[in-house]
Amino acid sequence: MKFITFVLLAFISVKSYAVTVTISDLDQQTVANVVAWLTPLQASENKARTNQSFTMSQKDRQFTPHVLVVEQNAEVEFPNLDSIMHHVYSFSKSKAFELKLYREQPQAPITFDQAGVVELGCNIHDWMLGYIVVVDSPFYGITNEQGQFSFDVPPGEYTLSVWHEGFGDISSTESQTVTVSDTDFNYQLKQKVTPRIAIGVDEFDEY
Amino acid sequence: MNIRVVLGFALLAVVSNATAQVKGLLQVGAIKGDSYATWQEGGVGLYRYDTDTDGIVLTQGLIDFRADITSGWSAHGVINAYQDPEPTLGFSQVYLQYKPLTSSKYKWHVRAGGFYPLLSLENPDMGWISPYNYTNSAINSWIGEEVRTLGVEATIKRPGRSFNSKHSFAFVGATFKGNDPAGTLLAWRGFAMHDRQTTLNEEVAFAAVASLDTPQLQFQANQVLPFEEIDGRFGYYAGVHWDYLKKSQFRFYYYDNNGDPAAVNYSTGQYAWDTRFASAAWLYKFNAKTRLITQVMSGSTAMGDTRGVDNRFYSHFVLLSHKMASHRLSIRYDYFEVTDKDDWAFDPNASHGEGVTATWRYQLSPQWQLGIEGSALHSQVDNRAAMDIAEKVSQQQISLNAQWRF
Repeated sequence: MKFITFVLLAFISVKSYAVTVTISDLDQQTVANVVAWLTPLQASENKARTNQSFTMSQKDRQFTPHVLVVEQNAEVEFPNLDSIMHHVYSFSKSKAFELKLYREQPQAPITFDQAGVVELGCNIHDWMLGYIVVVDSPFYGITNEQGQFSFDVPPGEYTLSVWHEGFGDISSTESQTVTVSDTDFNYQLKQKVTPRIAIGVDEFDEY
Repeated sequence: MNIRVVLGFALLAVVSNATAQVKGLLQVGAIKGDSYATWQEGGVGLYRYDTDTDGIVLTQGLIDFRADITSGWSAHGVINAYQDPEPTLGFSQVYLQYKPLTSSKYKWHVRAGGFYPLLSLENPDMGWISPYNYTNSAINSWIGEEVRTLGVEATIKRPGRSFNSKHSFAFVGATFKGNDPAGTLLAWRGFAMHDRQTTLNEEVAFAAVASLDTPQLQFQANQVLPFEEIDGRFGYYAGVHWDYLKKSQFRFYYYDNNGDPAAVNYSTGQYAWDTRFASAAWLYKFNAKTRLITQVMSGSTAMGDTRGVDNRFYSHFVLLSHKMASHRLSIRYDYFEVTDKDDWAFDPNASHGEGVTATWRYQLSPQWQLGIEGSALHSQVDNRAAMDIAEKVSQQQISLNAQWRF
């Protein structure tokens, strides 16, 4: 049994690499909160990540997380953790919807069946802003404070796509073909990234 | 008059099937009032309570509801219960709001009905009460008793975040009927300091001012119906809100009830007053715990076909509030004055004063809050002499409050 496990593990480790991508801006500074995903150039039997449940909460009158990445056809719950009501909506092309005023959990999760960027707002709290990035690949993530993110992907040719909320056109992405082998790689953004504006609010700012 | 209450309840009935959010609050206080009788009982005291009300009283009782009729339309109302000066139940606000979902980065909404112009940064809690001091500033005590919009208000917002800016703006414009007698209390009582909001069909008493016995003022009642329509003219106001990251919040409003001072309703004893004012309010958060709130108001009010009563009024306050875990400490200084500009020497309207109010609140649980407040003020009101009362008066009020909300 141990032997079989060993062989299986060895097989898997040969099949995919943990590669780290570092994303920097025009000034060579690393950028956090960049959404990155790899799409294979040759169609393969990409298995969607299964049994993943996604949530975009509303907590302390903000969307939490601020940016959520999900795979196409994922279902996302929108629990309201505040004691007040929210009225969440999106006018984005890839998914337009409205969750009428609610407390706690709205009726059903929402399925995001088209790849693209979904911008979320709340009709009661103008300052609330959040994003759901729907990608057509199981290989995705968000860069950390060091501007890095690690993928666990099989070697091959891929399209690397990146998105940041500070892009001039919020619905556009940047992409480039990359070859994944056993080495890490860097990507430099082709546009200026506007810094994110964080608004601290409390219970009396609604008035 | 009572049609507003009927309309309010009718509105409640219409929307009872829609998604509703009902919040409420009960606040009971143990009061040590001042020896000068409150204006509510026809006295010259500028606090809500006096020695006659010493003991346990219902200081606030309110239900604040919001019902969503469609995605854009909602109905709002606040019902207040008071036991002073008489047990009453009424709406202080009742209005419909239309706030459509729009893909534009600019957002807009319209309110129609009876509501407050949002010029105060002191009263953001449910039912327009203050989370800082129990006793409101002189400015907002007056707004709560004599100012209300009975009309239509439109707001266009430019939320900064949608424009990648740290600055957010809102532009407000409104037109309204009613609110013609606003200014009456400032002329014959002066500013006061309290948290007693006038409900839409209520009248507010004031002291038996001697000049009301003269031929010139014989038609004026010894009370004000602040939201009455008298001259048939529309009033208006305009405001701008400017926020920097919500760390700094600034609001400027200009209000003009466009009252015709010659218009009078003989049956209710109410005049239309030509009342206009500018108000600037600023809130600044030094950090998440400590904030400064300040407001300045300056205006004028006049009544009578020869503008026989013609006054300027001015007030400002500075409020510092600090929150430590479940404790909130708030201290406020108020200055207020009314200047008499007319030549009716038999009707002196000048008054001025200042006050200091310190409040400590302790949040026991999300539902329960305890608090203690001490307030002191001194005032000079020129018309007191003719009532055989000292023109200069010093007053104090202490209250212990228990608040329960749902």
